[in-house]
Amino acid sequence: MEFLLQQVVNGLTLGSVYALIALGYSMVYGILKLLNFAHGDVYMVGAFAGYAVLVGLGGPADPRVPLAVLFLLMFLAAMLVSGALGVAIERFAYRPLRNAPRIAPLISAIGVSFFLQNAALLVLGARFRTYGTAKMIDPGTGLHWGPLRISLVRIIVIVSAVLLMVALQVLVKRTRLGKAMRATAIDREAATMMGIDVDTIIIVTFFIGSVLAGAAGVMVGLVFSRVYHFMGFVAGLKGFTAAVIGGIGSIPGAMLGGLFIGFAESFSAAYISSTFQNLIVFLILIAFMLIRPWGLLGTPELVKV
Amino acid sequence: MRRTTGIAFALALALVAAACSGGAETTTTTVGGATTTTQGATTTTQGATTTTQAPVACVGKIGVMAPITGPAASIGEEQRNWAQLAVDMFNEENGTSFEMVEGDTQLDPAQASTVAQQFVADGDIIAVVGPAGSQEVEAVGPIFTDASMPFVSMSATRESLTDGTSPTFFRVVPHDGEQGPTDARFMADELGAKKVMIIDDQTSYSTGLADTTAATLEASGVDVTRESVSQDQTDFSALVSKIGDDVDVVFLPWQIAANAEVFGGQMAEQGKDAVLFGSDGLFSPGDFTIEGAYVSSFAPDIRGIPEDAELVAAYEEQYGDFGTFGPPTYAAMIVALEAAKSICDAGAEPTREAVVEAIGSIDLPSSVLGIPIRFAASGDIEGARFFIFRIEGGEYVLVK
Repeated sequence: MEFLLQQVVNGLTLGSVYALIALGYSMVYGILKLLNFAHGDVYMVGAFAGYAVLVGLGGPADPRVPLAVLFLLMFLAAMLVSGALGVAIERFAYRPLRNAPRIAPLISAIGVSFFLQNAALLVLGARFRTYGTAKMIDPGTGLHWGPLRISLVRIIVIVSAVLLMVALQVLVKRTRLGKAMRATAIDREAATMMGIDVDTIIIVTFFIGSVLAGAAGVMVGLVFSRVYHFMGFVAGLKGFTAAVIGGIGSIPGAMLGGLFIGFAESFSAAYISSTFQNLIVFLILIAFMLIRPWGLLGTPELVKV
Repeated sequence: MRRTTGIAFALALALVAAACSGGAETTTTTVGGATTTTQGATTTTQGATTTTQAPVACVGKIGVMAPITGPAASIGEEQRNWAQLAVDMFNEENGTSFEMVEGDTQLDPAQASTVAQQFVADGDIIAVVGPAGSQEVEAVGPIFTDASMPFVSMSATRESLTDGTSPTFFRVVPHDGEQGPTDARFMADELGAKKVMIIDDQTSYSTGLADTTAATLEASGVDVTRESVSQDQTDFSALVSKIGDDVDVVFLPWQIAANAEVFGGQMAEQGKDAVLFGSDGLFSPGDFTIEGAYVSSFAPDIRGIPEDAELVAAYEEQYGDFGTFGPPTYAAMIVALEAAKSICDAGAEPTREAVVEAIGSIDLPSSVLGIPIRFAASGDIEGARFFIFRIEGGEYVLVK
């Protein structure tokens, strides 16, 4: 039983990170019908931005500001840098191709992804950097229920992920901006005719999606400690998988899909074998593509005949 | 259905990208393919005292094959830097003007074959340091055998590489056949382990080492469970929860020290008190610092060898921190350079064939690794053994 609950905690941590990445994929797809394959690398840049703040403020062993302030600054820096990067990518890699065939921006996305990976490699070097969270927060602190343990870092990560997702949901459902975003997603031309500035909405969408990815980058740095130039690749694929399983274009779907993948990974490592962890995740993806291509919460597209 | 086909296509594209990310990346990074770094013959006064009485100018290029970009770039960068340092220092001390040519293999056998062909085609290249991975050595073996090109690997440890199929192959590190049993005996005899969990990282280095270690452990009556996890994985917590209370030692034959650090942290998080034991791939005092863990290494920490102090300082000043893959690369480069120089000293021209001969009969009384360097007929280094360290207060303390 404790073993099972421990997997739930593991799955929840991993799942919240995937959910944040998946949100960016899903929001951009919802509005532009574009798969932004550079999204994983935006997350990588966010992780490095958080790392830069950490090191700049004295490093994990001897930070110059209280931990709460330090974490807040790390999150803020990562989110702003990633957000700005997302907007820049949209401006230079996707906007010129907006009326091109759909394959063109996709190729452009993959190009941007390789560009960011190799730029990070050249500028930052190939060494793995670690956040050294254990030096800031003793890994033993946290909630203990008998053998079940939830470390403080995991609690911070899960809580902040939930807060961000709630904030996003409020923004999309309750504000004028959110309404404009939804309208643009449903029908871009009609939205333009209604007086919505679609270009601004697209920029905002990229910004918000990238901000979430930046936050996910810092979370991964805090829990799993290791950041490097290539980290966005696999994370991006997992986020993409989560978005598709949840129903691409659907915001609650992306959250659900992220959690689903997180649980699938934890449980397959725990009960089947860690060897097959990735195999199982991508098998699930293929199964969804075959049986329910619109995902958990997406809506099947109607085809007029 | 239009949306679905779009996604299906994108998915296919993503999988292709995943499958051949190494290849696709090449387009952006081929610069590494043939970057020649010239280090002029800065003959210092010090160098002049030990000069060449050779009538022939001692020149030539040494190729270096390492994963300079791609997922294993953290290893390759360190190897490249140490190789460069070796060339710079050797030229300065001996008044030679050898040059280094970089070849980026991305730890990919196909890429390694292409680089090997480029090197063979460059008539000035008289020896190669590398490639880094065992699978790459297997791929380039036939190419270098045909061209009589000597190649000295700094990290390829698969046992079968020196079985005679590549007569021009040498390596400066002991093979897996030695590390596994050494580690296993230490766990069984010194740590008194009754149950060991072995987790490989799905590379041929790791699975090979896991196999030999498991075999020795089982032969000594130790209970072994096997797990495996990808190098890309950052979350090991599910795996960590599977470590039972009766497990005495968790053995990680891994290549990425930062991963093992995460693993150790997650063990602490879940209150697991099994002893962590890492292979030579984890020997990296800057990155792997789990208190009470053990690490094996093919060399004593070169930071602990007094003769190497100057070299360590020179490297750290120029390039920063380093792990376990750099110093053997330095040793491999010195082997190639010394061999070439010995031919010049004898008044001949250092051809590939001559360098193969010279490496085979090389006899260096000391090396950066703290041991003399001589090769057996198979190409394996003689007298190398594995050392075992314990991490105490962030320091690597030699225990065996």
